Amino acid sequence: MFGIYKIPFQTDAAGITVSVEVEGETSTYRRVAPRETLTKRLGYREGRVIINPVEPVNLPSEVTGMIEFHFTPVTLRPSSRILICLKFPVEIGVFVGADENYTLLDVFSLARPKYSLYGTPENGFITRHVECEVFESAPPTDPLKEGVLFLAIRNSGRDWVEVSRAVFDVSALRIFHGRTVAISGEMEVFSRLVAETRVLDLPPEEGMKQSLRVFPTKRLLIPEKQPFMMEYGVGE
Amino acid sequence: MAFESLKIEIIGNVTLFDLIVFAISVLAAAIIAKVVAIYLKKSLSDRIPPKEMDFLIRVIQAAIIIVGIYLALPSFDINLADMLVVGGTMGLVIAFASQRIVSNFGSGLFLIAERPMKPGDSVNIGAVSGTVEEIRVLSTIIKTHEGVYVRVPNEKIFTSEITNFVANVARRFEYTIGISYQSDAAKAIRIIKSLLDDHPFVLRHPAPSVFVDTLSDSSVNLRVFIWAPSRVWWSVRTEMLWAIKKALDAEGIEIPFPQRVITFARDKEGPSCSGTQGDGAAYGRP
Repeated sequence: MFGIYKIPFQTDAAGITVSVEVEGETSTYRRVAPRETLTKRLGYREGRVIINPVEPVNLPSEVTGMIEFHFTPVTLRPSSRILICLKFPVEIGVFVGADENYTLLDVFSLARPKYSLYGTPENGFITRHVECEVFESAPPTDPLKEGVLFLAIRNSGRDWVEVSRAVFDVSALRIFHGRTVAISGEMEVFSRLVAETRVLDLPPEEGMKQSLRVFPTKRLLIPEKQPFMMEYGVGE
Repeated sequence: MAFESLKIEIIGNVTLFDLIVFAISVLAAAIIAKVVAIYLKKSLSDRIPPKEMDFLIRVIQAAIIIVGIYLALPSFDINLADMLVVGGTMGLVIAFASQRIVSNFGSGLFLIAERPMKPGDSVNIGAVSGTVEEIRVLSTIIKTHEGVYVRVPNEKIFTSEITNFVANVARRFEYTIGISYQSDAAKAIRIIKSLLDDHPFVLRHPAPSVFVDTLSDSSVNLRVFIWAPSRVWWSVRTEMLWAIKKALDAEGIEIPFPQRVITFARDKEGPSCSGTQGDGAAYGRP
């Protein structure tokens, strides 16, 4: 389903149908998914539609720009580094436009969203909550439902540390897609309370394409914050 | 002749011509500020949130007008040192003459600096409850929940207790749900927890809490504590309450009306008489 389509078109996968039908000088966008259907009238009959995975913080409505991974605890000794893989839910974005100028038309997902709070209600962050297992290598996934975060964790502290949480600022999130959907991230742990996370601008595998993002099309003037400082703990 | 009249000194060395030049300069600055504001709104409205946009436009407009006044000042041919002395004295006079205005102005500056609230926040200030529309230097505009425009002087806000319902990113709300004594409280708790788990905006952490709180006259009262993002808490609150009611109904768990069981003394000859007073369910505490 992911790719670039020229209006008119129809694509089907996993029980989802996305189409744009031309009617006179205008066209109609229609998305039929298992739980809901969306129809939008477009004021043009030509152009391109891009469908790709987007930052998973848009549904059911945007309340945050942070994503939090809760995973099986991983213990690290001082100055050690490991690479783990975590699954995350995919949200699919449909953009319409031409040349380099695209606008978001629709976002949908087959995953059930859940949100959480990282930190305190006064100074913390609302986060998209992702609970997952830890994999040593990329697990098999359905790219329409799940993606894989390749997370390199480094313990720069002097003590052993148990890590079970990683929070990322999605304004800098780069999602890549091909056979799978993937993100590369880094986490540097300084103590049980403080860590720094950043998303890498590198595809985890060769041949993957970078997804068009929701955030830049909405807020070009907000500077990307990178990295993110986790100050409320890296464990339970 | 008309030109000569423009040269007449009105205040000290300041002529009518100087005043006209000054007025035109300030007017031009105001027009430029307005044009710039319109341009910014047109070009950046989809890239900057509306509240930040308003603030940005105000700052830019103020800067343009200040520059306009600064450029117009030389037309007065005024010594800036003298002006500072005169301005200071005038300032004191004006301050004493208009204490309330100055007080409101000072309070406005403190409010802008301290930021206990910002446009868009849902607040309660004294007897006024609503959404902050605009924070001006002298007053703050509140739109009440009924959509009524209320202008509150900043001095009053500064000395009032301000409750900001959305200052924190998350907030807690609660329900008390009474179920009948015959209903299985453990099952009801399971049903409610499952609903809470399914709702995206019922936060995973801090986790919601559901427990038997009190054994009251007519019902076993369950207490439900829910944390939700402040931006959507009200919609979550209204959605969840009805969802809980429907789910409990569907599982046969009764939410009883208040009731009282009255037992009369047994008559030796006649049958015992007892009755339930109330409008609803037949179940009460045994």
